[in-house]
Amino acid sequence: MKTPKIDLKELEKQKKENFKHRLEFNKKYVEWLKKTSNKEWSKQQKKLID
Amino acid sequence: MNFIYNKNFIEIKDKDLSELDKFVFDFIKILQKHVKYVIISGYVAILFGRNRSSEDVDIFIEKINQEVLNNLWEELSKDFECINTPNVKDSYGKYLSEGLAIRFAKKNTFIPNIELKFPKVDLDLWTLSESKKVIINKKTLFISPLELEIPYKLFLGSEKDIEDAMHLFNLFKEYIDMEIFNEFNRKLKTEDLFNKYLK
Repeated sequence: MKTPKIDLKELEKQKKENFKHRLEFNKKYVEWLKKTSNKEWSKQQKKLID
Repeated sequence: MNFIYNKNFIEIKDKDLSELDKFVFDFIKILQKHVKYVIISGYVAILFGRNRSSEDVDIFIEKINQEVLNNLWEELSKDFECINTPNVKDSYGKYLSEGLAIRFAKKNTFIPNIELKFPKVDLDLWTLSESKKVIINKKTLFISPLELEIPYKLFLGSEKDIEDAMHLFNLFKEYIDMEIFNEFNRKLKTEDLFNKYLK
């Protein structure tokens, strides 16, 4: 099986971009948390973690 | 853990599915009708028993046009909603085609969510074309080949990623193609991390 050519600089750039997008998404998630009742957000979190 | 691992697939029977597994299977059931996909990153380790959860599941989908996305969107909309934008045209024009991901959660929820994105580099395309079939309780999904998934986790390099890599390697080291695995470690310059943590 032939493996692809890898441009490490490009991958590092992608890693940084993905991190930036995750941070942006986290902001959005916190905005959602702030406007969502404790009962509701904790229900979703419990479902995910348990 | 009992499993069958061969050239064509990995099979696990009698898995007690987690809420996250059920969420993923619900989504994949629809996604697979419309587009070729591959699940990458953290959920791959979780699927195979790693004891952690995740708010999101990362998936590459092949590059599709607006019309295919419209059809996918319509079918997903019965149970899921896009949490980036409610507009399907924007999800294509402002997100996917700009190299950004779109996220879907079950209606009126935020977590967990599925992060869909187009492949950007050759490595992403390879992941999609060489995806590994996994059968869990007779249901099928496609994951990133472990020969790449493990070195790539080392490349990402956080403690969580290294633990994911270690989990997958310890579980599947007798089955993965070490030639390809070593080649990816060379190309990604993760040989030192491999020797330090996994060997």
